[in-house]
Amino acid sequence: MSEPNDAGIDVDEYEDVWVFVEEHAGEVMPVSWELLEEGKQLSEKLDQDLVALVIGEDLDDVAEAALERGANRVLVADDPVFEPYRADPYGAQFRAMVENRKPTIVLIGGTHTGRDFAGRVAVPTHAGLTADVTEIDVDDDGLLQARRPAFGGDILATILCEDHRPQMATIRPGVFEAGDRDPTVAFDADSITDVDVVVDESDTVSEVLEREIGDTADITEAERIVAVGAGVEGDLEPALELAESIDAKLAASRAAVDEGWVDGSRQVGQTGKTVRPELYVAVGISGAIQHLEGMNKSGTVIAINNDPNAPIFEHADYGIVGDFAAVCPDLAETLASDERTEVTP
Amino acid sequence: MTTVTWTIVVGVKQVPDADEVGIDPDTGRLDRASAPAVMNPPDRGALEAALSIKDVVDARVVAMTMGPPMATPVLEEAIAMGCDDAVLITDRAFAGSDTWPTSLTLARAAEQLGADIVLAGEETTDSSTGQVPPGIAAHNGWAQLTYVEAVEPRPEENRLVATRDVEGGHERVAADLPVVVAVAYGEFDPRPAPLHRKLYAENDFEPIEWTAEDLDIKDEVGLDVSPTSVGGMETVQPVERKGEVVETADDLAEQITEVYS
Ligand SMILES: Cc1cc2nc3c(=O)[nH]c(=O)nc-3n(C[C@H](O)[C@H](O)[C@H](O)COP(=O)(O)OP(=O)(O)OC[C@H]3O[C@@H](n4cnc5c(N)ncnc54)[C@H](O)[C@@H]3O)c2cc1C
Ligand SMILES: Nc1ncnc2c1ncn2[C@@H]1O[C@H](COP(=O)(O)O)[C@@H](O)[C@H]1O
Repeated sequence: MSEPNDAGIDVDEYEDVWVFVEEHAGEVMPVSWELLEEGKQLSEKLDQDLVALVIGEDLDDVAEAALERGANRVLVADDPVFEPYRADPYGAQFRAMVENRKPTIVLIGGTHTGRDFAGRVAVPTHAGLTADVTEIDVDDDGLLQARRPAFGGDILATILCEDHRPQMATIRPGVFEAGDRDPTVAFDADSITDVDVVVDESDTVSEVLEREIGDTADITEAERIVAVGAGVEGDLEPALELAESIDAKLAASRAAVDEGWVDGSRQVGQTGKTVRPELYVAVGISGAIQHLEGMNKSGTVIAINNDPNAPIFEHADYGIVGDFAAVCPDLAETLASDERTEVTP
Repeated sequence: MTTVTWTIVVGVKQVPDADEVGIDPDTGRLDRASAPAVMNPPDRGALEAALSIKDVVDARVVAMTMGPPMATPVLEEAIAMGCDDAVLITDRAFAGSDTWPTSLTLARAAEQLGADIVLAGEETTDSSTGQVPPGIAAHNGWAQLTYVEAVEPRPEENRLVATRDVEGGHERVAADLPVVVAVAYGEFDPRPAPLHRKLYAENDFEPIEWTAEDLDIKDEVGLDVSPTSVGGMETVQPVERKGEVVETADDLAEQITEVYS
């Protein structure tokens, strides 16, 4: 028989790896599938179930997609109170599920939504919650090893949660790669469990007045990226022309996103997405550490910057010192006429 | 006309300046001592948001920090910007606190101050978790709004409406008070501190000081109640890049086409 530890917790009571599947109005955030794929490794090592959690309204399709992506079981909390997302009903529901079912590991996408409610679960359950995890594993005792960059990214700290459960982590989009959907996966009625909804609209303390979703580009899968920074001063045309010549996707630094030139879904970096294209062209980006963290897995990095001392040149394979407004069109013209850059369908 | 007075509490933290931080080779711990200490940059945005609410609603703005007495300069900065008062929450008992006890401490302080709104930054540059604001809200059972880009005070409804940045768009959410608000970094341009406020803050101002005992959380803080611990630190080898600078766009095009061949 196992016994409670000094913190009053019997860690052996906790089992299964949970992955939160984030959806908004039926649309699943790709990070959910990335975490499900990564969670599979953990659950296999622990020889426990991989469980997908879905909270929202009308979730049948999402639940089935989670099974086809490798979840052994799905827990569904289906109610209008959960659509659109709000921190208080999500937090209360997720907390109740954790308290009733005791998972040992919980992975949540490091999106604005995931980072918003994760603390509302971790605090009342006194769970260990590690933010922005970039590497994850379990040791021989089943203890989660959550690694995250610290202080400018040149240090990787391993965060442990020895005496408390669950062991929770948030992980930013693009850090892990999603697996494929397998439509032949067999499942039955028992694979999907509808859980009790513990929240009532009258308990809520917030109200969504309006919600507008525009650009939800997924830059994490892109093979080629042209990213713009504060240096372009709102003039996207030259970079777009370059992007078109090599069939690249547009991305941006946080500075360019904050200015409103480019949507937040295209932000690369510590508080944005992690990308790993074969080609990354940084246009008017200085190369701040928070930016580098999101793109240093790229293949070849090219920098276009008019300041020869910009740090980005040290983090690029090839660079050119010059005005982006002149360099980009020149480059685009040369590349557009080169058959090697043509995309084979 | 009825006048409500809101109490707005702003969490500010002292952090080591940018990339100046090294690792002590003996202990493997971060050598914070060698880096100059500054206010966490996102917290300036939180102060600005608080003061912008005070511009339109009768309010008292109080800055709070949990940290060593050495952190007092961040409170002076907050006073210089326009805060009415400031609290230093300091105690040896806090040593080793992770986000759970930290947010408990700040939650209790906010409660004790009678907060209607707690403002915070998106995240700190040293621990960069962003968990403290939701943690404060969770400990107190309050509403919360994170990644906030604009605030619209609604004193007549006893609510705060805020525009949040959400994946691929925006939403406007109304929250009942008390509410914890974490502002998106870069969205609130901090106002400059007038000279007379700077002089007052540096020469005459003394913060309120609270200990764990004052907040009645003596046994609920520190290393013992922190669920997470650091198991180890590794240096990451920086990604090797060629770092070649070429002269012409044609040279660059040549390198780019190499990627495909
Ligand atoms: C908590 C926190 C989280 C953050 N997260 C992120 C993140 O996820 N992603 C991110 O990117 N940043 C992030 N940042 C911000 C980061 O620190 C930098 O401020 C940001 O990356 C700078 O963006 P930038 O390089 O576009 O702008 P700047 O640093 O202003 O650089 C602009 C560059 O453009 C060049 N330039 C100017 N004019 C021209 C021209 N005509 N032609 C060519 N070049 C020109 C300049 O020489 C300069 O190098 C974060 C910061 C904090 C505090
Ligand atoms: N020790 C502290 N004292 C006061 N406020 C804090 C403290 N730690 C965090 N905060 C607030 O919480 C925000 C997010 O911090 P973090 O969760 O540590 O990334 C910061 O921007 C501050 O506004």
